[in-house]
This record gives sequence, structure tokens and C-alpha cells, in this order.
Amino acid sequence: MRLPIDRLPLRWLAAVLLSTALGSGASADVPSFTSAGDRSVGGAEIYSHICQGCHMPGAQGAIGAGHYPKLAGNPALVSWQYVALTVLHGRKGMPAFGLPKGEVVDFLAVQLSDAEVADVVNYVRSNFGNHYKGSITAKQVAALPHPGAAAGSDSIPDHR
Amino acid sequence: MQENDAGELSRRELLRMIGLTAGSAAMYQAMSAMGFAAESPYRKPIELQGAPKGASVLILGAGIAGMTAAYELRNAGYQVQVLEYNNRSGGRNWSLRGGDRYTELGGATQECQFDKDLYVNPGPWRIPYHHRGILSYARRLGVPLEAFVQVNYNAYLHSSRAFGGKPQRYREIKADYQGHVAELLAKATRQNALDASVSKEDREKLLESLREWGALDKSFAYVASDAGSDRRGYKKEPGGGLTARPIPSEPIGLTDILSSDLWQGIPRGDTFDMQTALLQPVGGMGRIGEAFGRELGSLIRYNAKVIDIRQDQKGVTVTYEDSHSPGTKMNARADWCLCTIPLPILAQIPMNVGPAMAAAISAVPYAAAVKVGLQFKRRFWEEDDHIYGGITYTDLPITNIGYPSTGYHSSGKGVLLGAYIWGRNAMEFTAMAPQERVQKVVDYGSQIHPQYHREFENGIAVAWHRSPFTMGCFGMWSADARAKHYDDLCQIDQRIALAGEHASFIGGWQEGAVTSALDAIGRLHQRAVAQGERA
Repeated sequence: MRLPIDRLPLRWLAAVLLSTALGSGASADVPSFTSAGDRSVGGAEIYSHICQGCHMPGAQGAIGAGHYPKLAGNPALVSWQYVALTVLHGRKGMPAFGLPKGEVVDFLAVQLSDAEVADVVNYVRSNFGNHYKGSITAKQVAALPHPGAAAGSDSIPDHR
Repeated sequence: MQENDAGELSRRELLRMIGLTAGSAAMYQAMSAMGFAAESPYRKPIELQGAPKGASVLILGAGIAGMTAAYELRNAGYQVQVLEYNNRSGGRNWSLRGGDRYTELGGATQECQFDKDLYVNPGPWRIPYHHRGILSYARRLGVPLEAFVQVNYNAYLHSSRAFGGKPQRYREIKADYQGHVAELLAKATRQNALDASVSKEDREKLLESLREWGALDKSFAYVASDAGSDRRGYKKEPGGGLTARPIPSEPIGLTDILSSDLWQGIPRGDTFDMQTALLQPVGGMGRIGEAFGRELGSLIRYNAKVIDIRQDQKGVTVTYEDSHSPGTKMNARADWCLCTIPLPILAQIPMNVGPAMAAAISAVPYAAAVKVGLQFKRRFWEEDDHIYGGITYTDLPITNIGYPSTGYHSSGKGVLLGAYIWGRNAMEFTAMAPQERVQKVVDYGSQIHPQYHREFENGIAVAWHRSPFTMGCFGMWSADARAKHYDDLCQIDQRIALAGEHASFIGGWQEGAVTSALDAIGRLHQRAVAQGERA
């Protein structure tokens, strides 16, 4: 019933994203992170374009029928491994951001490189009133277990 | 043909006999074996007979799954109570209309400023004809339907990187792609390149069919012609009187078609879920949820935020608080519980189920999606562009523009679905404030319809990860997670069963919610009957 994911016309979208890539001087509020192509983006930009969707501006979190954890002043962030593994693998409803690059491009997931994971982990641990010591590197992230390609979706309904 | 028809009849007759003698389950099995029933398993209203006297079921969530279950269990004689977080019924079955207010997670509140009778469906907006379950409830609840236009040959395919960013009509891209492919295939056939695969007898038929399929001329070429223009449209359309004579249009070259990537948009209406006919409730998708809510009346307790789910030997106790007065705890109790709470929320609610179900609940991330409704001063897509319903697909982050399949030619204002954004783009749009989302969607859409900036009035944006009642759009099962956890999610854990689109193979569709609810209550009913009447 579902088209296999590799037959979904998503390359189209990926291509557009690249095509709308911003110059370095473009304003930060334009959808840019996903269109950055090979350009490296920093922790602040990753946070404000992706994480902030749920964890909110100022990392304040939010409460409805459930809640998004507040990252500001969150003692769980003392462990950089905990934060990095959460970003890589997701947690409960949170998607994995460490899916292998390239292999699951059709998944429409955001795939952060180890360096980007390190950047965003460092960013949240040293902003929003957090002052956790110990900046981490891509190498340290690389040493953590990563999700496999099989973690990509088996059946994204083609609602587009 | 004759033989085929006879074959069909006898097969139908056979199925009828199986159904008569062995019941619907056997008939369904037989149909599956014959390859008839690969779609929604829904066949007919569920029959739950012999509900134990006084047996009760507590249902969590008044979305499509919860209300399907409540409706059927009530009719079967169970005592039913539904707890719903929102102040309305429907869940993701929802239409935003003028005057509606919506507060998303983080506190941003939008007031929908659409004119009377105009709406946008933030959630589902179309029902395939084979989603018989949800269609059956629309019928039983008296919700009138109308056609949802999926494929509109005069809508656009658009790439910001092709044809100078100028949108192309679907009919032109389709006709030209098909024409060129037919021409190539005919050429190969006539040059005997396909002799190994095509018999002599088939060869002539194949050529004839290619000519017809591709609108080729008598020498199997795809060129400017009446036949070709009859597919892709004319340079000057035929008319009456002295201005009658049509002028054929010139096809776009094969290389331009291929390099544009617009061919990717051609088969969208060919997938099983998008094939004509599709339907929509008159007045907005939310009419189904509203009708369910009216039908169930006081069985639904609104503004109830579930904070704890606890089962014991005899029943299930759910603790909830009124969302208007947090901290005031109340309890509801029943023999059984059907929980349709979306998984990202359920994963955070303390509930004493076994480790298998608990692991399953935490294994499914939810898709990011954003929908934006835009009100314009007039229906310029009809007046200027001659687009009546249907969808324009684009490589811009807005993904598509949905034209209303209703209210054609009505004077006054009109509302478009300005964007249906997915994946990483949806995450970025979710991270914006609502008005910024709307503004960006207007900016992007103006690349396709230059009228946008002049005609735009107001808009409303729903980012599903900011939805307080779902925290995401729908469950995205990975192949791994499906293999490891799906059965555990659907298996009844003592007195608690789960339902919703997340507990189905029709993810993200209302039919998944309906069929999962019916499947779950069928099994709960069996357990209840097996336990017999309670003392």
C-alpha cells in the first residue's frame, strides 16, 4: 500500500533545499538550516532553527497534555553524554538526529554530523543559564553509539 | 471480456456463500487470500453482542479512535466515559473557522479571522474512497460529503530551479512526458530493439497503444498537433464563430522536462491513497468530530488532563485534572480502559503496564508537519488562473498549495491551504512564531501566484509539534521499531488497550484510528465476555 520510501519523490525537496541555500549574510530567520548543504552550522543556529520548535525560545520548555522539558537550568544536562545520546537517538516522541547522513536522505529527517551534535550540545549546556563545564568535540560524539540506517521510517504515509 | 465477467461473478458468488455459511471473518480471510482486501480491513459495522451487565469502559481521548470506540461500546450496552484534554471533540479531526482561537505550546495564541463558512483543516483534509471505516461513520452520523479534488490538470507543478521558476500546468508536463516516452518506446520497438521482450503479435498492438497513450502522430512522433493539444492544451483554444480555429501548442522538449524534475509530480494522484475519488465533509473535516461529539453528548468529559493511569485486579483508575484548575485531582474508574492518547504524551504519563507495552509506547517518534491557511480578498486562483480545487506541488518549502474543493465562484473571500510542510522544513517552521510562519508562506507562495501579496488578508499556522494535545503529527514507525514493538503496542495489557492511528498500518490516516479502535474493542469485548458478569 505504501510506496517504498526510496520511490517517494523526496529528492525533489532535497534539491530545492539546496537551491534555496543562503549566503552567509542572509537573515537568520529564513529557513536555512536544512538548506545549508555542506555549510557547517553552529550550535546557536541549530538550536534556534530546530530544537526551539519544541524546547522553545530561551529553552523554557512547554506544558500541555504532556510537556517538553525545559533545558534552561536543567540538572540532567550535567552529563554531556546524556544530552548527546538524546540528540543522536531521540527519546520517547523526540526524533533521532543522528541518523547516518546520506543513507536515509529520503526520510526527511534532520541529520546532524558529529560536529554539529557537539556544537548544539555545547550550546545548550553553556546557555540559558546553564554553565556546565567541559566543551565536547566531534570525536567524543563519534565514540558514542549511533542509530543505524534501519531506524529510518518503514512507512511514511505519503500525505504530501 | 465475457469470460472475465463470468469469472468475477462466480468468485463473488463463492464469497457470498462463504459469508453466508461461515460468517464474515471467514469471508474476509477468503477475500484476503484472493487478494481482494489489501486495503482497509473495514467491511461493516462491528457487532458486539452479550456485553456483561454493568460492564464499563473508560476511554481516554475524544479523537476519531476514542469516539469510534465510545460509540460502538455504548451501543453494545457498556457504560462508557470519555476523558478529553481539549474543550472540543475530534482531536486531529479539526477545522479552524473564523472566530476560533488556538493556543499552541509556548503560549502563542492565534485567532482565526476567516470569513463565515471559510475554514482550513490543520489535520486530515481528504478521505480516500476505500477508507470505508471513516466513511461509514460519516454516513451513520449524517455528515454530508462532497468530492475532494486531488488531481487538477490545470493546477501547477513548480520548481524554483526550472523554467525560470515559472510554474507549469500539470497537463502540459504530464502530456509531454508521456508523449516523449511513448515516442522513444515506439522508436525502439520499430528498430527491433525490443524484439527479445515483445512478440511479433504484441508488437503491433504495442505500437498502436503507444500512439494512443502518448498522442503520437501517424509516424509515431510527438509533435505540435491537435492530438497532442487535446492533452496538453492549445496555443489558441477552439471556439465558435469566426474566432473558432484552434492553434496547436508546442510541446516542451524532453530534455527540459527531464532536467526540470517536474516529472516527479506526475504520479501523485496514482497512489492508492490519492486515487479518485477522494471525499471531504461539507463544511470542513472537523464536521465528523463534531458530529461524534454531539452523538456522545455527556459521555465526554472535556478539559480533562490525564495524569495517572493505574490498573488493578478489578479495573482501571485514571486520575485527571481539569485543565482550567490545575492541581484539582479527580478520579474516573471502569472495568476496562481504552487509551488513545498520542504516544509522545502517553510516554510521559505514569501507567502500570508491563515493560513490553511501555517500551513500545516510547519507541515511536512523531512526524513534524505544519499547515497554514491563508485568506485572500478574492478567489484569484479561479478567476485568474482557472484552478478549481486540486493541488499545486512545488519544490519550495511550502510543498503544496491546496485549492478549496468547494464554494466555487463564490463572491467574496477565499481560503487556500497555503502550505503543507514536512520533515526538516516543518521543524524549521515550527521553531518560528506563528505570524512569521504565515508571512514566509505568503512570500514563498507569491513565487507561484504573484497575486498573493496584493490579495492576502490573514492566515493561521498550525505546527503539529506545538500542538498541546498531540506533540507531533502522527507516529512514524521505523522498520526496526515496527518489528520489535508494534504487536506489544496493540496487545491488551491486562485491562488496558491502546488505539489510534499509531496502532495501525494506516499511519497518519483517520482510517488507521477507526480500524485500530474497532480491532481493540473487539478484543476487549471478548475478554469482558469471557470474564462474565461482574458481581
